[in-house]
Formats: sequence, structure tokens, C-alpha cells
Amino acid sequence: MKIFRVLLIALVFSIVTASTAHKFYVSTTKIEYVEQQQSVQIISKIFIDDLEEVLRKRYDESIVLDSKDESEQDFVKRYLLQKLQITINGIPATLEYIGKEYEIDVIKVYFEINDIIELNTIEIENMVLFDLFMEQQNIIHLKTGESRRSLVLNKENPKGMLNFD
Amino acid sequence: MLSLLVIGIGYAQDENKIEKRDPGHYNINRFKQLYEEFSTPNVFRTASGAPGPQYYQQQADYKMDIELDDKNAKIYGYETITYTNNSPDALEYLWVQLDQNVRSKDSKTPLIEGSGAIPADMVGSFVGQYMGVPFDGGFRIEEVKGVKGENLPYTINQTMMRVEMAKNLDPGDKFTFSIKWWYNIPEHTIDRARSGYETFEDGNRGYVIAQFFPRMAVYSDVEGWQNSQFWGRDEFALPFGDYEVNITVPADHILDGTGVLLNRKEIFSKEMMLRYERAKKSYDKPVVIVTQEEAEEASKSFSTEKKTWKFKAENVRDYGFASSRRYIWDMMAVTIGGKDVMAVSVYPPEGNPLWEDYSTRVVASTLKSYSRMTFDYPYHKAISVHAKNQGMEYPMICWNYGRPDKEGNYSERTKYGMMSVIIHEVGHNFFPMIINSDERQWTWMDEGLNTFVQYVAEQDFGEWNPDAIAPNKAYPSRTGPPKNIVDYMAGDQNSLAPIMTKGLNTYNFGANAYSKPATGLNILRQTIMGRDLFDYAFRTYGQRWMFKHPTPEDFFRTMEDASAVDLDWFWREWFYTTDYVDIGVKDVKKFYVTSKMNKEIREMITARGIKESDLPPLVYLVEENSEDFEESMRTSTLADVTTLQEYIMDNVSAEDRLKLKNPKYFYEITFEKLGGIPMPIIAEFTYSDGTTERVTYPPQIWRKNDLMVTKVIASDKEIKKIEVDPDEETADIDVTNNSWPKRKKLGEFDTFKENVKGQ
Repeated sequence: MKIFRVLLIALVFSIVTASTAHKFYVSTTKIEYVEQQQSVQIISKIFIDDLEEVLRKRYDESIVLDSKDESEQDFVKRYLLQKLQITINGIPATLEYIGKEYEIDVIKVYFEINDIIELNTIEIENMVLFDLFMEQQNIIHLKTGESRRSLVLNKENPKGMLNFD
Repeated sequence: MLSLLVIGIGYAQDENKIEKRDPGHYNINRFKQLYEEFSTPNVFRTASGAPGPQYYQQQADYKMDIELDDKNAKIYGYETITYTNNSPDALEYLWVQLDQNVRSKDSKTPLIEGSGAIPADMVGSFVGQYMGVPFDGGFRIEEVKGVKGENLPYTINQTMMRVEMAKNLDPGDKFTFSIKWWYNIPEHTIDRARSGYETFEDGNRGYVIAQFFPRMAVYSDVEGWQNSQFWGRDEFALPFGDYEVNITVPADHILDGTGVLLNRKEIFSKEMMLRYERAKKSYDKPVVIVTQEEAEEASKSFSTEKKTWKFKAENVRDYGFASSRRYIWDMMAVTIGGKDVMAVSVYPPEGNPLWEDYSTRVVASTLKSYSRMTFDYPYHKAISVHAKNQGMEYPMICWNYGRPDKEGNYSERTKYGMMSVIIHEVGHNFFPMIINSDERQWTWMDEGLNTFVQYVAEQDFGEWNPDAIAPNKAYPSRTGPPKNIVDYMAGDQNSLAPIMTKGLNTYNFGANAYSKPATGLNILRQTIMGRDLFDYAFRTYGQRWMFKHPTPEDFFRTMEDASAVDLDWFWREWFYTTDYVDIGVKDVKKFYVTSKMNKEIREMITARGIKESDLPPLVYLVEENSEDFEESMRTSTLADVTTLQEYIMDNVSAEDRLKLKNPKYFYEITFEKLGGIPMPIIAEFTYSDGTTERVTYPPQIWRKNDLMVTKVIASDKEIKKIEVDPDEETADIDVTNNSWPKRKKLGEFDTFKENVKGQ
């Protein structure tokens, strides 16, 4: 039930932009295709406060990230796997959760997609924190052997497709 | 003769060239001066970056009677503005800013944000977006009157109000008028406004009130009237003035705001007065003026009596105050430039135990650091108010977030988040409250400069208060280290804007206006100029422009003028473009020295018909593994090069011969520049004996070839490894090309994966 209220609040009052002189709503996800390993490597960097806030609202008010409590891992994994969807060569990919680590105020979450023999197209949908912040931007940096591309995803454009044919 | 040969080579190449000529071009050199981007210096602003002989600024003095209606969350005001026209221009009208109107029902702010239709939506979200009733905010202007009580014609255009005068306001003249207004105060915790109230669990409210009165816009030599609307993001442009403000609130409220409290004896209890006198002499820890117990006791009732707090502030550009019956209040003294300043904190019990431990100490430390970097803090106090989720600044007072949970526990993140935001917002007293830049146009001038000094102040705080940051050895700063900006600068060009862009029109406000300029200044300070030159120039900028209105050019010009470091290239690339840094080692060739003629010269003299005997004595460089290379060269020394030895014997005295260097290894290193921004090449050579040496080639090394440059290194030790920018101090976006031989460094991902496996 809680989630409805939160969304409502987030939407009704999101007209006025970030008031704080400090706060901005951004996550960065690096995706690299490593041909030799036939693997797509993913590192998502998210502000710990933001992720913690959304997990509390969605699952459990008592969640504290970076507390060395194992249960937090399940929520981080569960949430990100719901919000980060990747389709490779037209087929929805299975993200394997590798782990997470903390760096000052940022959490880095690692995923891998295996057995990708070639990369022709990749579609990335990253809706992380869109359920909490209207102006959340999720930046994607994609690197393959030859090229670097970027996408800026937001609530209006939550997914992007890159073509390597 | 040798130079003739070189000319010959050039000529031979010309002959082979096909007829088609490239078109000419303007000066596209990256080191070209910024004459076209900068405006022409004049009597108002000089080429050195200082205020000119006829620099002027307007003055707006305010007398205000304010009443806060805590029961209904409304605020009422009657203000009298005296506006002094110090400009050489006659003014036909005045512009007043009505920032609260961004929250009025007919605000245009929501209309400039795009929105997309999504196939399915949560019901709550749908209701909010399409069925919700907007908050009834915005100024109610009840009257605008002249000194004789006559109504003045006025026109409201969104967040701006034009007031017309019976006659032009001539240079040097003053105009006095009054405005009566009120508005509904928004709840900032859900509205996410810069000011408003928070409702505590016991039902009491904490008010942090700012941009709450109609304020004069800036009229200047660069903008005329500052006439860019307030859309909610780009902050304020405000003239300096003197304020007399009387604020009436419920009698049980604790209040602090901009300016000197004139009726302290009337407001304070005897006990509070005693504590205040003690606080003025406490330099190491804060003294509590209102305790937590007292705040909690006051929270149990709601006084219907009123009290008026009277303040006077001189030479400030704005006014803010905080008021609640649920406030704890503490203070301590800090000596700045021989004068005592009060470091003050105001917070509800919700902020403890964090706030009582750190807030006031952080305020005091911040004032010291910023004063060192700019000028002595000129006001008599600096207040840090705790308001949930806020981080916002006004003269002498700011709102800051950072709250423990209900049990009073807090994480390291909450603690450092709180300390950092206090340092940042207190730092805003310097930029833009005193160095009064135009925030509406140039967010980076206050946020970028402030975020830069914030880093310095954070590090100072850690150094001066090791107990407060233990077990960390240094304060864990977020912005500052150049490699932290790389993700942003390596982003897609379609979603990047130059720093010299109005904040509203940027794609990633935080990186654009805060981190990137701050990082740029860090690079200048640590890598390009050095601390001494940078700090002197930065301080000069502060001293020149304190209590004045600088423009970006005034900053750029001053930094060069006071340091004799030509930085036009840096300003252009880092501030005016979205370019990035990427420098690498492309190739390394090893050469041996011999007196035996090599292929290149042999072919050339044959082509020119020159006989070998006509050549002067020469030494030849032979690339390892080329046609002329012989294995024996690996062990030969310069002593084996006959022509060289003959020259030395004939021309260098026996004594001087002993002083000659005797390099054994010769390398030609090709550095490539894949990014646009020139940076120094910081090259670290690792020799076969394990020792390292660092050479820095100034950025001007790129002035003639923007893509590639070669350098010959003569060394008596074999080079095993070359790495550019080994400490990642230039924001190089791709460090995989920074080493020779190519280092197969385990990437971030594989490193982590290995570690996980190992566990």
C-alpha cells in the first residue's frame, strides 16, 4: 500500500525542481561487451541514500544499506533485476547478479550476461528510482571493442536501443 | 649542410604532392586568446578582471514588518524599499522579483517540462498527474504604494513585477515605495521547495523562510535589468542593501535570521542571556542557549501570545529566518582575522545526537577555511539550521539536511552528508552572498567555485578535527578528485552542455554546474598552476569582488592577471565546450647511435646526387630491428661512434669531457591526443633498475599538432615502462591507452569478480 502513497507524493509535487543546492538525481550504469569472454559486464552506480529510500518505501522501513546485514542484498538484487532490463539481439537477456560494493556514498552493483557470441543490437531499459524521483536520470555508458556510446534515460524515455550492425 | 639536407627533404615531398589545395582557415589554434568570446573591457570592468573606475552597483534597502501565522501556515508582510540608482542611466521603471509565484496555481513552470504517455500507470500516480489539485501558493500583492500613499501602477509577469514611477529615476536619485503582501507557506518536505515548513511528528512546525518578500532585481552594466524569470531552478540575482526587519511569531518560538538581533534582552530569558555570554567566550565547543529539554517542553503547548524579534543587517543581498517552538539553539565563537564571529546552530530534537556534536564545529571550521581562501568573513555570525532534506543558503543563515533515525542511530553516510552540506551551504556566504554573482545566469559561478572551496574546507576539517572523522584518516570528499568527473565528461555529446550554459538548459545540472567547474579548478590548482599561483589569484578574485557583482570574465581575467599563467585555452575548452581529455602513448621506438650511414640518408643523397665524402661528420640513428640494425649495436656505446669521438676530442676540453653525459638508450615516444582538451603530458618513466622519473611537458606542447607529438628521450638506463598521468589528475576519460607497453590491466568488473570468487 505504501508505494501508492509515495508515487502520489512524488508526482503531485514534482513540479518544482530540486530545491537543495546539493541534491541531484542521477545513476550511472557502465555496460561493456567483452568479446573474448563472450560476456556483457554491467556495473550500476547509484547513490546509497536514494536506493535505500526506495527500498524502504517498497519493502521494509528498517532496511539499512551498507550495514553488513546479509538480507539487504536480496532487496538490492530484487529491485535492480526488476528495473534493469536488457534485450540483446532481440532476445531478453538474463542478468546474473555478481555482487555489490560500497564507495563513500555510492553503491556499485555488478551483473553479467553470459554467452553473447556477437552483439548486434542492445536495448536497455533502466527504470531505477523512477518510482521515487520524477527527475531521476539514469545514464548508460556502453563500450564495445570499437565504440563507446551513451544514453540518458529518464521517466519519459526509460529505454534506448543501440545498433551495431 | 645538415640544415640544407633537411630543407631538401621538405622540397622533395612538395614535388610529389597532388595539385588540389586545402582551403584556408581562421585561427583554429586551441591556444588562441579569447578575444572573440570575451566582451571588450570598459570603464565598468577592466581587462585585468577588476572593477573599473566607473564600476557601479545599485542599492536596495528594506524595512519590513513580518508576521508568521503558525496556526494557518501563512506569512504576512509590509515592506518599504528604498532603491538608490547609482547607475549612469535614468530608469523608467523598477523590476521586483516575486519568486513565490513559481508555486502559484497558474505557474508556468510545469508547462516547460515535457512528459510522456506511458502504457500503464499506477493509479496513485495517475491521480497525482491528471487529477490532483495544485497547491495554492504564490504572492498575494495587496498594495504597491509610493511615499505619499498613492497607488503605483504595477504589472506582474509570472515571477517578476514591474513598478512604474511618476517620473524617471535619475542617476544618483532614490525612490521609496511599499508593498503589502501575504502567501500560503508550502510544506517543503513534500513540495521540495527551497523554503517552507516541515511538520514534526508532534504536530509542531519548523519554518525555514526565505525568498519570502518581493525583492529588487539587479540592474547592472552587463544585463540592464536582470529579466530572466524564476522557473524554480536557477537561483537569484540580488542587489546589496541594509535591512531592518521585525518578525512577529508566537511567543514560544525560537527564531534566528540574517542580521544583528537588536532586542536580545527583551526576547531572551535571564538564563539564555547568561548562556549567550558564555558562548561568546567559548572557542572550542558550543554552548547551548536553548536545551533539548526546553525545546521538548515548549513543544507541548501552543502559545497564543506573540513576540517580535527585531533585526538589522547591513550590506546583505537577501534575508532569511528560521522559527519554531521545537528548536534547540547552540553557539560558539571563532576568531577570524582578529575578530570574533559566532558559529550558530538551530535544530529540532530530531537532529540529535548528530547536530549537537558536529554542526556548530563544522560552521566554525568552514569560516576559517573559506576566509583563508578568499577574505575574512565580514559578518558577525553564521547559522546552520537543520531542516529535513534541505540544503539552501542565505546571508548568515542556511538550511541543512542530515538526520539520525528515530532511535538516534545514524550511518557514516548520514554524518558526512550532513557535514558536507553544512560546509557547502555555509560556504555560500562567500559565493554568492558576498561575491555576488548572477545565479540566474551562471549557476557555476557560485556552485562551482563554492564546491571547489568546499573540498578544501572538508580536507581542513578532517585535518583539524581528527576525532570527528575517525577512523578515516582524511575527510571522505565526493567532489574534487578529477577521475570522479570522467563518467560525466565521457558521456554522449547530445546530453552534454558547456559549463557556460544557463542552469535551466543543462542536461545534468549537478555535474554541469557543481562538479565539473569545481574539478576544473582543482586541476588548475594541483596540476597546471600549482597551489601558490592559484591561491594568490583566487584570493585576488575574492578580494576584488567581495560585496560586488562579478561576471564569468572577471573571474577568468583575474586568474590570469594575478598569476601570469595564460589560461585562455583552459577556459575555452573546460568552460565553453563539452570537450574531454584523452591523452595516450601511441608508440615507442628504440634507436641506436652509429657512425655508419643508414638507409634513409643513403637514399636521399643518391637521389640528390650528393657524394658521401661531401657530407660533414654525422651520427646516425638506427631503429631497433630496422634494415640497418645489427645485433652488435645493442652492446655498443657512444664511445664506439667514431665521428662523435673525433668531434669530442677536437672540441671539448679534457676537463669538460668528464662532465659529458653518456646516454646509452635513445627512444622516440609518440604521444597521442584523442580528446580535444590540451593537458600537460605527465609522463612517468620506469627504468630497468626499478627507479622512476616523472617529466611534465606543458600543455603548449600541443600547440602545433593537436593530435600527436613525438619526443626523443636519451637515457643511460633502459626504459621498461612509460605511463602518462599515472595519478589520474587530468580527468583523462580513457586510461587504457596511457601505458607502454600496453598494460593488460584487469578492468573494474573483472577485478571485482575475482574478489567475489576469492571469498
